[in-house]
Amino acid sequence: MGRILAADWLKIRGKGLWLLILVGPLGLTAMQALNFGLRFDYMKRRYAGDLWGGLLDNTALFVPMALFLGGTLVCSLMANIEHQTSAWKQLLALPVSRIAVFASKLMLCLLLLAVSCLLLSGFVTALGLLFGFGASAIPVYGILRIGFLSCAAVMPFIALQLWLSLAFRNQAMPVSIGVICAIVSPFTATLSEWLPINWPYLAWTGPHRLYFAGAGLALALLVLLPGAAHFARKDVN
Amino acid sequence: MKMFLRILSAERLKLSGSYIWLLVLASPAAAVLIGLYASSPAGGKPDWTILLSVMSTLHALLFLPVLSGLYTAMLCRHEHLDGGWKALLALPVSRTAVYLAKFTMAAVLLAATQALFIAAVIGTGLIRGIGTPVPWGLFLGTCAASWTACLPLAALQLAVSQAWSSFAAPLALNVSFTLPNVLIANSATYGPYYPWVQPMLAMIPHGQADYGAFNLPLESLLIVVLGSFALFLAAGLLSFRRKAV
Repeated sequence: MGRILAADWLKIRGKGLWLLILVGPLGLTAMQALNFGLRFDYMKRRYAGDLWGGLLDNTALFVPMALFLGGTLVCSLMANIEHQTSAWKQLLALPVSRIAVFASKLMLCLLLLAVSCLLLSGFVTALGLLFGFGASAIPVYGILRIGFLSCAAVMPFIALQLWLSLAFRNQAMPVSIGVICAIVSPFTATLSEWLPINWPYLAWTGPHRLYFAGAGLALALLVLLPGAAHFARKDVN
Repeated sequence: MKMFLRILSAERLKLSGSYIWLLVLASPAAAVLIGLYASSPAGGKPDWTILLSVMSTLHALLFLPVLSGLYTAMLCRHEHLDGGWKALLALPVSRTAVYLAKFTMAAVLLAATQALFIAAVIGTGLIRGIGTPVPWGLFLGTCAASWTACLPLAALQLAVSQAWSSFAAPLALNVSFTLPNVLIANSATYGPYYPWVQPMLAMIPHGQADYGAFNLPLESLLIVVLGSFALFLAAGLLSFRRKAV
């Protein structure tokens, strides 16, 4: 398992994945830098009581979208390494179990997303300090929560995307689904909170955010089972 | 010219069975859902202009820029698989014709999306019981303008899609430029110069909104759109002509 993960780690070099992981949080922070920077006085008055909270709330509006999108792209780019060169045959002909291959792709995907969330926390903190919101008032829990709780709630979607990306050689389908989910997600917020597409945002706001993050993890396990089972049994050509 | 038309019909054949029509349907379908629940600012039933602005929010702000990327990525997918570029360009075709045929297909697909969107708006209006006359001039004008505003984006995405063999990578670029639309559309300073937000600015009926960058004269829109179109298409064409396959 460790060696498969190490192999996957090597394979994602130079594929633009690390760049994506860096650019996502950087872009989100840059948007907020513009959002606050262009109308600093107005925003400062509006969030006078809780400057850090205002910054985090504004950032959190875009985090679910970015997670949907980033998850889709990470899964697709990672699966594409083997699809592109028809390397599944060679990889699976080696004496490794298919479940281990699947698990290593999943682990790597989660690792990349976690790095991305950590970077987001770091960048947002830096932005707040740059704006002079004060180091003593840093809401450490809130800053960690902004990426990681939403990330937990987006897990069912990641599991689904990993399944689809690995299952189809034609990446158009999974990527289209992912991109459409990402751009529709802000518009479904008014619908029922039972819809998993709303969970990443609900995991940031509202009184039951831990429930939504937990529900995300639980549903992700449910989606992973058929995904892994399908990967373990599918024909390779 | 004959060669161009034959490449074009080949492009059309290559798209069959790719389920691309599902994508063409996606945005009008989402717009219908939004339109069915729309109401006028005062409450109560919207009129045609308000219905158009409400339904075009998601469509023009996010779907159109993203779709221009998705369509072009799909048009290049066949060639990136199994050495398709080699097989295609070994034929007695000129590279310029191939590139322009692909771009034309993307433009046609976007036009089909726009046509379906008009149909969706009118259908929703009729279901909601908004009376006739239907303002055809307004619908056709705004949809044609925002279609024009999509062409530079499609040109850029085609340039990127032919260069990168992965399906997801061009889209990463496309969507990361599209998401800031949400903020930039509200900025009167930067909105007019950001190509990705132009479909939205072109779609909003003029003189309706009095904030942000929504009240631009059509001329300034055209300068940004045509300028970026010429730049992106020329860059893509040049790089495609010199590309090693």
